[in-house]
Amino acid sequence: MECTHRPQSTFVAIAVGLMLLLSGACSVGAATLHRSVGPEPDALDIHLAQSLSAVNVLRDLHLGLIGLDAKARLIPGVARQWSVDDSQRVWTFELDPQARWSDGAPIVASDFVAGWQRAVDPTTGSPVAGLLEPIQHARAIRRGERPVDSLGVVAEGPHRLVVTLEQPTPWFEELLTHPVMAPWPGQTQRFSGAYALVERLPGAHLRLEKNPHYIRAEQVALGEVMWHVIEQPSVELSRFRAGQLHITETIPPGRMDWLERELGTSLRIAPYLGSFFLAFNVARSPFQDQPDLREALSLVIDRERITRQVLGAGEQPAYALIPPSLPGWNPPEPFTTASKAARIERAQALYAQAGYSQDNPLKVELRFNTSLNHRRMAAAVGAMWREHLGVHTRLVNEEWKVFVTNRRQGRITQVVRGGWIGDWQDPANFLQLFVSDSPLNYTFWRDARFDSLMATAQTQSGQARMATLAQAEQRLIDAHVIVPLYYYVSRHLVQPNVNGWEDNLMDIHLTKWLSLE
Amino acid sequence: MLTFSIKRLISAVPTLFLLITVAFFLIRVAPGGPFDSERALMPEVEANLAAKYHLDEPLIFQYGRYLWQIAQLDFGPSFHYLDWSVNDLIAQGWPVSLTLGGLALVLALLVGIPIGVWAAVNQNKAIDYTVMSVAMIGISVPAFVMAPVLILLFAIVLGWLPAGGWAFSFDRMVLPVLTLALPMVAYIARITRGSMIEVLHSPFIRTARAKGMPEKEILTNHALKPAMLPVLSYLGPAAAGVLTGSVVVERIFTIPGIGSYFVQGALNRDYTLVMGVVILYGMLIILFNFLVDLLYAWLDPRIRYEDLNEGGP
Repeated sequence: MECTHRPQSTFVAIAVGLMLLLSGACSVGAATLHRSVGPEPDALDIHLAQSLSAVNVLRDLHLGLIGLDAKARLIPGVARQWSVDDSQRVWTFELDPQARWSDGAPIVASDFVAGWQRAVDPTTGSPVAGLLEPIQHARAIRRGERPVDSLGVVAEGPHRLVVTLEQPTPWFEELLTHPVMAPWPGQTQRFSGAYALVERLPGAHLRLEKNPHYIRAEQVALGEVMWHVIEQPSVELSRFRAGQLHITETIPPGRMDWLERELGTSLRIAPYLGSFFLAFNVARSPFQDQPDLREALSLVIDRERITRQVLGAGEQPAYALIPPSLPGWNPPEPFTTASKAARIERAQALYAQAGYSQDNPLKVELRFNTSLNHRRMAAAVGAMWREHLGVHTRLVNEEWKVFVTNRRQGRITQVVRGGWIGDWQDPANFLQLFVSDSPLNYTFWRDARFDSLMATAQTQSGQARMATLAQAEQRLIDAHVIVPLYYYVSRHLVQPNVNGWEDNLMDIHLTKWLSLE
Repeated sequence: MLTFSIKRLISAVPTLFLLITVAFFLIRVAPGGPFDSERALMPEVEANLAAKYHLDEPLIFQYGRYLWQIAQLDFGPSFHYLDWSVNDLIAQGWPVSLTLGGLALVLALLVGIPIGVWAAVNQNKAIDYTVMSVAMIGISVPAFVMAPVLILLFAIVLGWLPAGGWAFSFDRMVLPVLTLALPMVAYIARITRGSMIEVLHSPFIRTARAKGMPEKEILTNHALKPAMLPVLSYLGPAAAGVLTGSVVVERIFTIPGIGSYFVQGALNRDYTLVMGVVILYGMLIILFNFLVDLLYAWLDPRIRYEDLNEGGP
């Protein structure tokens, strides 16, 4: 008898529960912003965090000397004003005496000194400390060759900070907006940003409440924000459609038509400071000393078809490395000025010159990390190479850790998926990947002229610097060590009742500039 | 029974030891390490990190150190989730997995067993075919199909339930529990039906019927207990599996259980996290198999602990 009673009572409980929920109690509350953070942040320690998800949350929690407005433009942060000397190496920051930690204690210059010293201290093991390398002695300290207190940053009283750089660094102000440059809160949980962390459940969410001691608290509209950990874009979409999310981190690949039709008013697609390319390993056969072969493979790839039919989320076809949306940047002229037929004809001639033919086809491995978009892109590229040149392409899909290891070592790679998201809005941030001794140079291209141009650019400023960097990019493109494919776009779904959202090239959307209707 | 229990628990030690040893070395054989990322660390920084986590020591020393650590119930720091230790992650995630898995298990038993019995007593009738066909669908439809369908129906179209997210509340649990329970309901129903049909054709049941015992009494007092033996065999590993979370269900409903740590830990080369969840899973498997053996003896008087000592039924 007991067995028959239990299921009945369970069913009754479920039915009653369902009826109670008919009121739609599961939709998002009006006072709290619910946004997706993507995967679980790896750390909330400003010196250890390196995932994009962690940095996005940290931007809500911490404020550096310089802040960002809704369009990611520079505005005063903890520093109310700053100046640089004639050498462009010594920066002086005047801190706002009103700046407070979330516990009410004043934020002082020594908090920055302590933080930056901790970041470059090799015992901290910070994966992002490289960002501080423009500061005097930072690199030597990271290598363990100098003491930590020799770092070029000095607190001259509680409200003045003097920073000495190794050399003029045009992007230094933008660098200061990164969380790794924020004041160090010590081992206590306190925050300098617009919000304070009040709850964190790994794999679920981070709950942030408005920091009442924030320097410009009156500008912050939302009292609470929930960052939800959601790994899958399709899950984000489900929760957005169910009214549980105001903002998604991205959108699922391959559903653009449907999204435009069903959620067009919520869809936010904008240029993003990133480019996607294929990289040849020029230190190994078959691409070593074969620029013509590399050019042939680049010429036959139809970028327009890839961006329109394979990706289809507004990505822009790329013929160079640096995104043309970068302010003040004039991209080199693309080779599409030649007709498609002429390009293919030239590619076939170059392919034949390299000693390959239909009877003796090039056999190549195209390596990429697991991602639906990467797989589709690789299949399309392989098909184009096959169609126009007869190349036999083997697609090699690897999980992330294996992929980055193989790509960095370069022992077995031929063509690999490459890409770069700009850390700051400067062309050198992209080009530095290809300097001969760069640890990120997985093409293994070594070019003295390119290195020299990059070194020259470091000593220049303004238009002269930009012209030198343009020459460096042209040198890279002419060497055909990479095949630029497309420029990234940022992709979000934003509910119509969210105000203050501004598309921007850095895809940074601080919660403090958002509000709900 | 006490001797049997002690012997079984002692025999679990080498099993667990073997599991720890194999898992420890296997995860380290995988290419790539915990600190590999797009931006390579400076050699000096990487050396510091390796020293901090003792990864610079010979593997056998690391193994010895790890054994000593877990003997003190310390699973070490997570290599990927730097703000947490593995103990923290399991302590926060396991109650969630345990709750969902436990509810799913209870639901599966409460629904699966009566359905199976019902189908068995109506063998080869329309009810039997219908129930078994539905059960087959339940087994065949994977969670990554069932979960989005449930979300689409109940969260997006009807708007009755949330599409995901976690809280210890009824509305957050309904869909994930249903997704977890449905295949188990189907399995248990099919196993119960098969077993019950076999028992109902046993000589002792025929004898009971010949003596005029009511059918209901035969079912509840005589047939049900022996018919549960195959269900129990299924329940041991199934319970260990469902109580340690499901990657698919946790991903789709964004539930902070420990199921996704199996996959994420392996992908991130988070050695300590992988070891933590593997050891937990292994311990549960051993525990549930032990409990199943004890329940066998309770359900079937023909089985004695002496038999179990010699290798089980």
